Amino acid sequence: MYFFNAQKVNLIAGAITILTVLIAIIWAFPIYWGIVSSLKPEDEVVRPYIELWPDTLTFQHYWFALTETQIGRWYWNSIVTSLGVTVLTVATSMFAGYAISQLNFPFRRALYWLILASFMVPTQVLIINHFVLVADMGLINTWAGIILPQLISPVVIIVYKQFFDQVPKDFREAAVMDNASELRILFKVYIPMNWGVTTALSIVTFIWAWNSFLWPFLAVTKTEMMTITVGITQVNDAFGVYYARQLSAAVLAGFPVALAYLLFQRRVTEAITLSAGIKG
Amino acid sequence: MLRNHKKESLVALLLISPFLAIYGLIFVYPTIDMFFLSFQKAPLIGDGKWIGIDNYTRLERDRRFDTAMWNTAYFVALSVVPGTLIALFISIGVYRLSGRIQSLVLALFFLPYILPVSVVYRIWDWTLNFQFGIGMYLFDWLAMDRIPIFKVTGWFMPAVAFVTIWWTAGFSILLFLAGLRAIPAEIYEASALDNSSRWQTFRRITWPLLWPVTALVLTIQLILQLKIFDQVYLFSVGGRPNDNLVMVYYIFQRAFVNNDGGRAAAIAVVLFIIVVVVSVLNFQLLKFAERK
Amino acid sequence: MKSFKKFSITSALLLGLSTAAYAEEKVVWWDFLGGGDGVRMKQLISEFNTANAGEVSIDATTLEWGVPFYTKVQTSVAVGEAPDIMTYHASRIPLAVEQNVLDEITPADWDAMGLSSNDFAEQIWDGVTGPDGKIYGVPLDTHPIVLYYNKDVLEAAGQLNPDGTPKGMGSREEFTNMLKAIADSGSVKFPLGSVTADGNFMFRTIYSLVGQQNGELMTDGEFLAGDNAEKLTNALSVLQEWTTSGLQSTYTDYPATVALFTSGEAAMMINGVWEVPTMTDLHAGGKLFEWGAVELPVIFDKPATYSDSHVFAIPKGSATDPAKRAAVLKVMAGILNESLFWATAGHIPANNSVTNSAEYKSMEPNATYSTLTANMIYDPKTPLAGVAGPIFDVMSTHFVPTLNGELDPAEAVAYIKEDLNDM
Repeated sequence: MYFFNAQKVNLIAGAITILTVLIAIIWAFPIYWGIVSSLKPEDEVVRPYIELWPDTLTFQHYWFALTETQIGRWYWNSIVTSLGVTVLTVATSMFAGYAISQLNFPFRRALYWLILASFMVPTQVLIINHFVLVADMGLINTWAGIILPQLISPVVIIVYKQFFDQVPKDFREAAVMDNASELRILFKVYIPMNWGVTTALSIVTFIWAWNSFLWPFLAVTKTEMMTITVGITQVNDAFGVYYARQLSAAVLAGFPVALAYLLFQRRVTEAITLSAGIKG
Repeated sequence: MLRNHKKESLVALLLISPFLAIYGLIFVYPTIDMFFLSFQKAPLIGDGKWIGIDNYTRLERDRRFDTAMWNTAYFVALSVVPGTLIALFISIGVYRLSGRIQSLVLALFFLPYILPVSVVYRIWDWTLNFQFGIGMYLFDWLAMDRIPIFKVTGWFMPAVAFVTIWWTAGFSILLFLAGLRAIPAEIYEASALDNSSRWQTFRRITWPLLWPVTALVLTIQLILQLKIFDQVYLFSVGGRPNDNLVMVYYIFQRAFVNNDGGRAAAIAVVLFIIVVVVSVLNFQLLKFAERK
Repeated sequence: MKSFKKFSITSALLLGLSTAAYAEEKVVWWDFLGGGDGVRMKQLISEFNTANAGEVSIDATTLEWGVPFYTKVQTSVAVGEAPDIMTYHASRIPLAVEQNVLDEITPADWDAMGLSSNDFAEQIWDGVTGPDGKIYGVPLDTHPIVLYYNKDVLEAAGQLNPDGTPKGMGSREEFTNMLKAIADSGSVKFPLGSVTADGNFMFRTIYSLVGQQNGELMTDGEFLAGDNAEKLTNALSVLQEWTTSGLQSTYTDYPATVALFTSGEAAMMINGVWEVPTMTDLHAGGKLFEWGAVELPVIFDKPATYSDSHVFAIPKGSATDPAKRAAVLKVMAGILNESLFWATAGHIPANNSVTNSAEYKSMEPNATYSTLTANMIYDPKTPLAGVAGPIFDVMSTHFVPTLNGELDPAEAVAYIKEDLNDM
């Protein structure tokens, strides 16, 4: 009886495992399909039957995208703006998070609650006013214009605050006894102790900035200033049926962030669980 | 230990001033501005004139506003709870794996989340392409008529919800996984002695212990999907945008296509209020459910 | 230090001046030409750039046709980031003038280009005249929709006249019978391919059919007055009938419709003249059957074909600098000079001297369908009309379900009337 039960359990366990793996493969299949389709010549792409691997493997579409379109510029715009958002967000949040965590100043609690409250505000409702603001500042079609409204990230500051809170008090007290300035303490003690958090938050912020669509879509009217996420949907360089070509542009757009994830898988996972922990 | 309060406040001010400056400029100011704009008749760029609550009263008879509200609610219903449940069950499956396979499987589920929405759009637009998409074979297999999914009203929202779940489930799966791992193994061992079935274990142990994470995922998803724009916009191009409007899309349309900043701001304010109310309600509701 | 400063300033100035003297004037150009005609336009641009290298250079971008294009124009003008020159639809000029997005093409400009109202047909000139009497566009062409047909398939089904034109073009019954005959011959998937997934596009066919009944969209500011609503219902009914009986393609978007025709799966196709170059090029490469293009069949009382007109326009606030303006005008005149080549893109050139020339008259298939010029009808001149305008929007939302059998035509017209009056 005991033995029979164990076998039954194992069978079901095995079935669940296989099922999960199968679902995972099906889940990721569209990505595979998109990539494979981009490697086929156009006339093969529209064949009326399924070919899971290209009959003729070709990189012509990638070549076309890289040489005949503005993808190069778009990459550059994405890199600059994503880095800009990341550096500015992480830096300002780090400083402010430290202040809220370690220092006593008037309205400290109020500020903290204000930041928490801003979680509830959907930034999408601010698009009109962001647009007007950026236009009034003459920053439409500039990197600064793309970067600026994307600097709202309450999560980062709160994560920092929570982590700084957890640093044992002795470190700070020792440093203060040595007459170290606050900035020194921040840079020499708190940040080095939370390097992992900084890395994780930076990577995730970068990916999020790279992928953002709505704001960069609104903030840019000149095609050469578009980020790659926006650019691949806006410009109609192809005439007629050019599915593979469009897919190759999409692959080029998604490739960097996918690579960043695969390289820094652990950090990204960590950052996600961190940032979610705050909202709970 | 004496603390020089004045000096401390000064340093604090120094540290928080960049943050405050940015926050004030791109958060506080535009939010206030939005409220003011909603009471004006104004183009997108330029001055407007004060017209009181006209923009709001117009919403009552505005058919597109109705459509946008209903579509948003419909979309939320289609994506939040199903998405959470799907992520939950997948995470249980992933939890049972280990080592390399688990890493690989997790990466497969998470990869879509990493991609920008425009890439997700291209992939699915191609997969479900009416003429040449591989997804059409599914219809053949089920002996159904092939359907141009994103052009038919009845199919549009469910399809976009489906794609959205595909895109964002990875995030929820990660959270559930973390939650599952936090459940001590002893609890499961204790229940194994009872000889309870899989389902009973789940119902009596896993689900309650996982509830905080489930609540969290539901909340995040709810707030997220209320603000949806990108996918709906992209999949509507060339199709029937007015039928597929969601709230943020309608705001965009009024402001940027119809050049009516005032009306758009009014709709934005309504959405703002809805999100805040829903957030608070959600928070209270979950707290209540937890206590039960 | 001071002398160094002086030196660097002077040299910078000199450098600046010298480069300014040889500076190539860059003209930023936006168009929406994404069909077969886009290929031709790209060629024209490249030829212009070669011919004018060092003086004027066109920096062209092709954006998505329709609402995305016009939204971008509007917002970019509002923030002062508009291009120097853009293509525009004449039907939209009243709306554009109201929105203040266009700059006037002044009499001085016309002189500089060496063109005047005498060079264009009256209706075309009227099309670029704003409600204030000022001219807001330089006409490039008119582009109606035509019926493309596969000569081989039609012949096999016995539907071809001795002169190579399709048979059933005279009445609704004739045409429907022809479609049925082609369907019965079993050689194609659809006798007729139309862009039934895109209400924007079908607006042209439907408007033509309404015009064939002598109907109007707007009468003295009222929408679908009198029996015009009925006429619209008739137009929708006929099209719905064809789709539901399998005679017309369902839910096909633009690229798919073209693909259906060129692959032979659809025997005929209603599309704009701008796909003529696609067909010509494919045929020249041996990849296409014998084909032709004719005026739309007369389904109702008289022939009528919807047409719109491409014009060049200058966004408000752009090209204010004299050198830039001159460059822009040079571009416009330059492209207009090549109107004959533009005709190979299928369009009917706006320039009289071209349409009157022997070379144009002998061009095929243009010559075959040029008879329709006498029967062309245009959008009503109102800020509500035009591509991506409010009427356009309302219509296209309700057309798609109707054409594909989801919505009853009379119901659809009721909704349309309601929406139009809502505006």
